[in-house]
Amino acid sequence: MQLKDSNSKPSSSNAVDTIQEWLVNQIAKQLGINAQTIKVTEPLTRYGLDSIDSVTIVGELEDWLDAELPPTLLWDYPTIEKASQYLVNEAGVTPAETTNQTTEVTTKPQEAPKEKAWGGLWNKISGS
Amino acid sequence: MQPLKQYWIAEALEKDLGDPTNPNNVMSFKQVIDLDEREEFPHEIIDWLYNWKLQHYYIPTECGGEFTSFDEFIAFVRVLSRRDQTSAIAFTTMFWSYLTWMAGTDEQKRTLSSFMKDANGAMCLAYSEKAHGSDLLASDVRATKVPGGYILNGEKWPINRATISGVTFVLAKTDEAGGARSLSLFMVEKSKIDPANYTHLPKIYTHGIRGSDMSGIRFENCFVPESMRLGAEGVGLELALKGFQITRALCAAFSQGAADTALRTTLKFALGRQLYGKTVFDMPQPKRTLTDAFLDILICDCATIGVARGFNTMPEQISVWSAVVKYFVTTTLETVVQNVSVVLGSRFYMREEHDWGIFQKVLRDNAIISMFDGSTVVNLHALLLQLRQLTKSRARNAGRNQDTLQARLLATFDLTQSLPAFDGKKLELVNRGGDDVLQGLELALTSLSDLKTDSNLNSEVLQQIIQLTQMVQEELKTLDHQITESTFQFGHEQAPEVFDIAKQYCVLHAAASCVYMWLYNRHHLGDFFASGEWLALSLRKLLLTFRPAKALPARLGDEAVSQELVRLYSHNRMFSIVPFQLAQPQQQETTTDATQRLQLQA
Ligand SMILES: Cc1cc2nc3c(=O)[nH]c(=O)nc-3n(C[C@H](O)[C@H](O)[C@H](O)COP(=O)(O)OP(=O)(O)OC[C@H]3O[C@@H](n4cnc5c(N)ncnc54)[C@H](O)[C@@H]3O)c2cc1C
Repeated sequence: MQLKDSNSKPSSSNAVDTIQEWLVNQIAKQLGINAQTIKVTEPLTRYGLDSIDSVTIVGELEDWLDAELPPTLLWDYPTIEKASQYLVNEAGVTPAETTNQTTEVTTKPQEAPKEKAWGGLWNKISGS
Repeated sequence: MQPLKQYWIAEALEKDLGDPTNPNNVMSFKQVIDLDEREEFPHEIIDWLYNWKLQHYYIPTECGGEFTSFDEFIAFVRVLSRRDQTSAIAFTTMFWSYLTWMAGTDEQKRTLSSFMKDANGAMCLAYSEKAHGSDLLASDVRATKVPGGYILNGEKWPINRATISGVTFVLAKTDEAGGARSLSLFMVEKSKIDPANYTHLPKIYTHGIRGSDMSGIRFENCFVPESMRLGAEGVGLELALKGFQITRALCAAFSQGAADTALRTTLKFALGRQLYGKTVFDMPQPKRTLTDAFLDILICDCATIGVARGFNTMPEQISVWSAVVKYFVTTTLETVVQNVSVVLGSRFYMREEHDWGIFQKVLRDNAIISMFDGSTVVNLHALLLQLRQLTKSRARNAGRNQDTLQARLLATFDLTQSLPAFDGKKLELVNRGGDDVLQGLELALTSLSDLKTDSNLNSEVLQQIIQLTQMVQEELKTLDHQITESTFQFGHEQAPEVFDIAKQYCVLHAAASCVYMWLYNRHHLGDFFASGEWLALSLRKLLLTFRPAKALPARLGDEAVSQELVRLYSHNRMFSIVPFQLAQPQQQETTTDATQRLQLQA
């Protein structure tokens, strides 16, 4: 996972990118698909994420962003692009520093090979 | 009179319905069995309940009714259900009205309230479709927008009370694009739509609740005005999921009524039947089976009452709590019915012997509770998706805000505390803030330890309660660890192991509920409750899910528990932590009055 260095407060387009990237990586790993194949403009349901999953993923997003979000965020903004734009431009949410993440990701050991790591993955997210 | 106000309605209803073993009474075993044999809808019983004005207790006070708390509600549903689950379920389809109380306009609330109160009206819930079952988003029923309303097309099946009801809550697709916002919910008043545009489907013959109006409804180009839509377009799924949080928790009351009758009629047999010069009950094995069944009922009671009160105190946690009882209580009590059937022996299988054959009817009727309103797997699925967040919040909250946590647990579990009004808008699709019940284990252990100075308590019993509560906490830690480490994926291909974790979570939640129930009510539920043997035995029983018997402290003697079981039976009291008064056989009414009062005020 590559995340941009952002020691200073990210600009709003940076912020949107950072959230998009976070979501792409979450969903790619969770669903065991290549991040490259996820298009931010496609409805998430296309990747097999159902309505209840998308409510629970908001919980993870809340932890990462340290902000209370509407659980139905991904119902109302069903693409990664729309959700990220809403968060930054309308809800005024900006991700905090994200520089630690790269190290965290590489130091954590197990990566469930075929199955998608429930624990493995979510643990790697810093700031929660 | 019963000191706890939330049981007054249940007691009054019991008294007026009269002894179910008297064939002349309206909901007698004889009558409900006859109806079942004829597979007839219980019109007379339903009318009786309307005349008694029970429907008012389904309508919140602010909407013109008498409903104040789910705590009170589950008590009277138990009363209905112990006599006849068919009628209980038929009458209680009215609890779908919560969709309107939660999301309706003032006009819709007024309409529904007057339909229920003044027109003896009932509603049904039309979500399922033959082709889709649990997969609500796959709905084929369409509501197409036209000026002033929608055109409904499609079929809902199998639907309880689809035919004999005046209002149908229909979930229909309003957005062809699909997705979580593609469904809307309609409160369709049949009297206001054209009869040419809808038909009822034929009765479905079922294994249990045979007298039910199980059927379906088909809409063909049926115009429904916009005023029949509940909430905004696209909020159907959200409302449906929140509505299920309410009804799933309430389903526990159906199971509890059934388990009461299964145990009561079996106990009656065991106390009366002589073999080898003794009664069946005097033989250790049958006695143990019945005592264990009683313990299971008490455990379920603690879990259910906690959740029912939690609606008022902790609505934002109900997505988890209600899933816990819908799984744990219904499946545990199904097992109880199975277990006691062994003691009833051959009579459990006979359609007429012993109390008009009520046992075989309970066995058949009760089997549906864990399946409808979201089957066991669907329900566990809803829970398991939240486990990761629960684990995280448990770690985050550890040791924080202990005073407010303590206060919330007290408000939830102390049955003498009056409850804040329930606000359906506070329900959340996923748990917010963690699970107080399991978060509070540390506090519970401190309170238990403080009791060591209480000379009224048997120290061996207290020691076991403490030791077993510590084990519950250890198991929770193990579970949290497993959740963090386990593999998981989205969607509907969850590993069976994750379902197991969800089941275990429910057991721990139930165990903790028992502990608080005891801690907060030791001074107002009588001597048997206060002495705590039941709690030690119950915790041990629950821990058998996790550890072999030999890894647990030795089982305490259960004589006090089996004596209490017989005492409640002979005084016609509910098998419950609040053993409220049941209808008395006519001749006993005056003689037992004094003992009743003593028991509950002890
Ligand atoms: C007596 C009775 C009364 C009913 N009353 C009503 C009513 O009033 N209103 C109404 O709308 N419906 C009602 N129903 C329908 C009931 O809610 C459905 O039967 C239920 O939703 C299950 O659907 P299904 O039987 O089609 O099974 P399906 O949903 O097709 O399930 C098939 C199988 O898949 C499994 N499965 C499904 N989902 C999951 C999952 N997430 N994870 C793992 N496994 C899964 C199930 O366990 C099952 O083994 C009633 C049914 C009965 C029998």
